[in-house]
Amino acid sequence: MFELDVRSRVPIYEQLVEKIKELIIKGLLKEHEQLPSVRALSNDLTINPNTIQKAYRELENQGYIYSIPGKGSFVAPLKDKDINKEKIEKILEEIKKLMLEGFHLGMNREDIIKVLEDVVKIKEGK
Amino acid sequence: MLRVNGLYKKYDDFEAIKNVSLHIPKGVVYGLIGSNGAGKTTLLKTVTGIYEKDRGNVTLNEKEIYENAEAKKKIFFIADNPYFYPGYTVKDMAKFYKSVYETWDDNKYERLRDIFKIDENKKVRNMSKGMQKQVAIWLGLSTNTDVLILDEPLDGLDAVIRQRVKKLIFQEVIDRELTVLISSHNLRELEDFCDYVAILHNGEVILEREVEKLKSSIFKVEVAFNDGMPEELMDRIKPIKSVQKGRIWVLVVEGERSEIEKILQSYNPVLFDVVSLTLEEIFMYEMEGIGYEIINY
Repeated sequence: MFELDVRSRVPIYEQLVEKIKELIIKGLLKEHEQLPSVRALSNDLTINPNTIQKAYRELENQGYIYSIPGKGSFVAPLKDKDINKEKIEKILEEIKKLMLEGFHLGMNREDIIKVLEDVVKIKEGK
Repeated sequence: MLRVNGLYKKYDDFEAIKNVSLHIPKGVVYGLIGSNGAGKTTLLKTVTGIYEKDRGNVTLNEKEIYENAEAKKKIFFIADNPYFYPGYTVKDMAKFYKSVYETWDDNKYERLRDIFKIDENKKVRNMSKGMQKQVAIWLGLSTNTDVLILDEPLDGLDAVIRQRVKKLIFQEVIDRELTVLISSHNLRELEDFCDYVAILHNGEVILEREVEKLKSSIFKVEVAFNDGMPEELMDRIKPIKSVQKGRIWVLVVEGERSEIEKILQSYNPVLFDVVSLTLEEIFMYEMEGIGYEIINY
């Protein structure tokens, strides 16, 4: 169902957690949908089952999934604010990076404020 | 639970194993890493009770393994160069192991035969080295023991077979909490394979840790500041290693990632990047730390 980058520096465990979160946030894994079993995922990706178990436990702690003993793990219903919070953080990071680059190229404070005002106008439909 | 406590092993005057302790919980894959001649094979052979130890002990579920048939029934050891009786076919070897290991599983043997696709009526000694290794793993898994100990199991196997062997071992870990102790000098390989690693050097364990914890507690940071490195920053993060490359500092730092990031960010770096270390890099830093020099030619 997805691929991990075994050559990456990012530990497999972290990759797993992030990947499944991403699938949930993007709606590719739907509410109450069952996640692949540890066995299936281990066989599919050739990764240590204990690592998968740890990743699932972490996702459960963070409220992304829930598990039913003997049945498996399922996607927990997401509160909208959780999804938004993550997305907002990402967008702010992006804006910061772009602004830094802009300043480096000679953009100034007024330019940013103008853009901000333009965007607000668009949003308000003016 | 497989435990090694304060183990010593000497060959004449040469101390091959010095005060080694390992804690191997049930159902984990435990990797033993070491430079060449570090004592990996000696350690494994002493753990399995092939060699007699000089001091210390090795226990499986609190019971001493050496000269204890009951404990040994629960362990299967696959040597770097597995031994097969002269003239024996795979089938003959299977019959032999079946007579020795009560836990032997015929169904598994047959299932694995279809997976490995090796002719069970061929004499094992006439097979290639890689094939012999596969036969050993096939037989080892079929014995269904609680513990599987493998000395450089993936050495000499091609990429496809390596994946296959890993998958088979992982399935046993899930299905019946098989405990796996494996040695290797291939860190890349152990990185995704093991839950725990121990680094062996000159017969001593210099580090024993959960792989994920190890990788999430030591980082490489690349950082640069407009006005150079703030003096007190080094004191606050206490890098294990720091190298200055022009205006960029490369630091190896131990600790909680979010903490380190917070501290560094507070000094407004103009460049800032944190990456996890590979097991190979961790191994190198640990070895450097104890004076095992990495020489750059």
